[in-house]
Amino acid sequence: MADVARRPAGAAGGISDEKRQRLLELVRGRTAARPTDLAEDEVMVWPTLVVVEALSAVIFTFLLLVASIAVNPPLVDIANPTVTPNPSKAPWYFLNLQELLLHMHPALAGVIVPTMALVLIAAIPFVDRSPLGVGILFTSDKGKKITVFSAIFTTIVLIALIAFDSEIGVTRSLSGKVAPVVYEQLIPVAVMVGFSVVLGVLVSKIYRPTRRELIIALFTGFVVSYFVLTIVGTFFRGYGMEIQLYWPWTNLHEGAH
Amino acid sequence: MRREHTIADRVTNSSLWRAVVRHGYPDTERNQALIIASNVFLHLHPVKIKRYATKVTYTFCLGGLSFFMFLILVMTGVLLMFYYVPSTTQAYQNMQDIEASVTFGQLMRNMHRYAAHGMVIAVFLHMCRVFYTGSYKPPREFNWVVGVILLFLTFLLSFTGYLLPWDQLAFWAITVGTTMAESAPLLGPKIRFLLVGDNEIGQATLIRFYTLHVIFLPLAAALMMAVHFWRIRKDGGISGPL
Repeated sequence: MADVARRPAGAAGGISDEKRQRLLELVRGRTAARPTDLAEDEVMVWPTLVVVEALSAVIFTFLLLVASIAVNPPLVDIANPTVTPNPSKAPWYFLNLQELLLHMHPALAGVIVPTMALVLIAAIPFVDRSPLGVGILFTSDKGKKITVFSAIFTTIVLIALIAFDSEIGVTRSLSGKVAPVVYEQLIPVAVMVGFSVVLGVLVSKIYRPTRRELIIALFTGFVVSYFVLTIVGTFFRGYGMEIQLYWPWTNLHEGAH
Repeated sequence: MRREHTIADRVTNSSLWRAVVRHGYPDTERNQALIIASNVFLHLHPVKIKRYATKVTYTFCLGGLSFFMFLILVMTGVLLMFYYVPSTTQAYQNMQDIEASVTFGQLMRNMHRYAAHGMVIAVFLHMCRVFYTGSYKPPREFNWVVGVILLFLTFLLSFTGYLLPWDQLAFWAITVGTTMAESAPLLGPKIRFLLVGDNEIGQATLIRFYTLHVIFLPLAAALMMAVHFWRIRKDGGISGPL
């Protein structure tokens, strides 16, 4: 700019002051940055998206109100460190970990497994970097089949494992015969890693998956494990955290008294 | 010019209204763009969005629902704070008062509790949706990690709130939870002491959980949410088919 300003008027190739002013003109027509130029696959956020958000906010406010008016959550007796309820249970979203606690060393169940789970989940996008299948639920038909397969496989294996440990009992059978590290740590780790590998190998053999689809199998295994263990821990663990096959709501509340 | 004479027009043409609202009635695309761009809250959104991103069966509104639950929790939580003293001698009595004698107290407590459960469920399901649609893939890998941190914060928020009623359910649930933390290799007892603030759960624990629950964790979560929402925009909006 400074260069232009210093240039004497009427110099070769230059523009006289008079002419320069005349260069400023209003150009009618579209500017490049009009916010209202919609491409074919685009919609305005107002109203299209904002309406959906407002509606779902209204619906869920209503549902919350109805639930809050209909059912009061428990407020049992005042905290008493000298009276231990049986069973004592963690909040429901940690009951999966409390369920694991019944089958392995507390350091594994309470800390190492959940930490590993979170770290592995966070690492997913650094392992699966191909943009293939973005934006498509389950990526492909094969992805859907793998999800269902993995869910059924995980459910069956988990229920079988819990039943086995509850009826026969790894700790019960082995304690006194081998070092505790075997049944508290080695066997549980072997079982968890082993069945993940079995799931991976089975899915690889049956479906010839891409890396993304293999990760779908493993992630589904995690989600279903979380779900099954939470359900078992919440509804099927009663007095002394023994398996109990009837509805235990009363138990939860009695236990707290 | 008949429209000029309606009361609504007089209001929306007043200098006070014009000082606050910088756009006209959003029945033109220009005003629909301005209403989003000139409002700090709506500005979380872009002005335009891909059509597939508005399909409810794609997102199931789960991210939005998680945020909605958080807002409900903030509002009901502030109201509950007026009546709740984090003291082992008063907390339980406060809870009974909130339920029995505070106007809408029971409703506030119930909504807070159910929204907390709802937020844990919504955040978890949101993670599943993002996973199954492959939305974590580059360039969104960092936002996926932020999401995992938010999941963790949601668990912590819910867990710290669980102790506050100071009833048997609360006390023993936190006993189970903190005993789990204690079993961590090497640092276990130190982590438990950091959480509990004493050798057993008592006043020191209650004030720690309370402070974490009403200040530290909500602020941390809000900060991470800001990053999370910002990153959605910066990473190209809601994911979709290539």
